[in-house]
Amino acid sequence: MNIHSYEKIWLVLATLLIVGLISTVTYGATAVGVEMVSDSGGTINASALDEDPRFSEPRVEQVGDNEYAAYVVAQQFIFKPDPITVPANSTVTFYVTSPDVIHGFEIVGTNANAMVVPGEVTELTVEMNEPGEYGILCNEYCGNGHHVMEGKLIVQPESEFQGGETDG
Amino acid sequence: MTAEQPSTEIGHDEFDPRGTLALILVYFAILVGLWVFMYFVEFLGNGLTVMG
Repeated sequence: MNIHSYEKIWLVLATLLIVGLISTVTYGATAVGVEMVSDSGGTINASALDEDPRFSEPRVEQVGDNEYAAYVVAQQFIFKPDPITVPANSTVTFYVTSPDVIHGFEIVGTNANAMVVPGEVTELTVEMNEPGEYGILCNEYCGNGHHVMEGKLIVQPESEFQGGETDG
Repeated sequence: MTAEQPSTEIGHDEFDPRGTLALILVYFAILVGLWVFMYFVEFLGNGLTVMG
């Protein structure tokens, strides 16, 4: 077979491109530690969130040294608690569930983005960096108030963070 | 009617489409640049990191 030299250049570059794409994703998954959201949160009775110790009172709770759990209820058309307040430079695991329809839980501008399905608990562990404010929004159409369904995540400096309680 | 046109025949390896090659290399450079920007700057560099 007679392959033109320019065609060989392109074949080599195209192969390098594929290898490059795969290796950057591998780098992200191993060296940086980016992971996908799994179904590890388990299931829940969506019509009895009031009776669940985690979701009867949506809140942020300290669960370990610099580790926090945020129990969040996404419902038509709010997130509870709002705002969600967490300290900077900590590890926060969000447990999000819905009593009504499918919602989205997206921390705007970041790769923290998951679906919230009634009957299931979405578990999402996130490393917080510097203090700041993020918007939270629902990105699954959930009814006629979908476009106003938003929340706020406040990452406070560690010195200002008061316990784990926020207003529900 | 028409005069005989002089014709030259060249072999497979003698035809070098340099302009096409240059276009493809520019396209390739843009592609690599955009991927690096999207993955390292926008995806990994933006605030929170999802750990699971």
